[in-house]
Amino acid sequence: MDNHLKLLAVGYDPAIMQVVGRLLNSHTGWNGVVALTREEGLEKLQRENYDALLLCVGVSADDEKTFHRAINYHHLPTIIIRHYGGGSGLLENEVRAALDHQQ
Amino acid sequence: MAQYILHKADTRGHDHHDWLDSRKTFSFGDYYNPRRMGFGALRVLNDDTLPGGKGFGLHPHDNMEIISIPLKGSLRHEDSAGNKAIAAAGTIQVMHAGSGLFHSEYNNSSDEIAEFLQIWLYPEDLNTPPLYTLGELPHHEGSNQLYTFIGPDNPNGISVRKDVWFGIGYFDYGVSFAYPVHQPGNGVYAFVIDGRFSVDGKELSARDGLGIWESDSIEVKALSDSARLLIMEVPMIINPQ
Repeated sequence: MDNHLKLLAVGYDPAIMQVVGRLLNSHTGWNGVVALTREEGLEKLQRENYDALLLCVGVSADDEKTFHRAINYHHLPTIIIRHYGGGSGLLENEVRAALDHQQ
Repeated sequence: MAQYILHKADTRGHDHHDWLDSRKTFSFGDYYNPRRMGFGALRVLNDDTLPGGKGFGLHPHDNMEIISIPLKGSLRHEDSAGNKAIAAAGTIQVMHAGSGLFHSEYNNSSDEIAEFLQIWLYPEDLNTPPLYTLGELPHHEGSNQLYTFIGPDNPNGISVRKDVWFGIGYFDYGVSFAYPVHQPGNGVYAFVIDGRFSVDGKELSARDGLGIWESDSIEVKALSDSARLLIMEVPMIINPQ
């Protein structure tokens, strides 16, 4: 069920996001792409389809609304997940729970 | 009417590595159970044992309140904000990860095990400055009192989100008390560290947990001597801004 997932992780702390990206890509069947600014995240969202968008460190509640609007406006098949903990033991759980919930 | 969810100790997730033995009440790491994703703002309750000299190497966190309660031995903490500390049994360590930091936690002893509870809460606000605090946790056998060590009035200088209350205490057989829920809408998670308790008439043994919500008072009774209970009162709605 989790196989071949394409995940976009947006966060504004490069050191933490390096870890998040590495963890996402260490998971079999997951392809993680990292964006380090809101603009980069919006651009990547509009260029390719992602199964999920992970909102990570530094992304404010206002930025989250911006991403929601972009996904709705472009009718993107992307679910939004707020990732807490910075590449912690919650990461895989958050993705799996969001996908389970979607189904 | 009060609602309950019981998590027996032997139903927790279990990871065993040469550097860590961890029992997880809620989904964490390789343990995933969609019905165990936390209890309100309480997201992680790990019961961890580190062999001598072992621990968690440098790794990042953000936007979580990470509370460590050493039960045996001590932890050696270092973080990217420059904090270095030893958290021993009888203390409590709180790391407000906020906008992000890296830290490591090792067993401070090279040959004795360290046991601690690792508790994570969702934050009230996103991306606030990180903060580390280490406080005393002066609860003693025979005291028969619940000691509030986290609360809005900041007991012992411990700084956590303002709408949670944590209490801990040792109780002798037969001692009972009513725990009043401080904030309407909050839930209470009772976790037995040692011994046995009755909580609202439900019998709990060591490392069992009981979540209670839609209640304004909880009845607690110790069913063994030197029984130790941790009570965590948390908001049931998660919506950090």
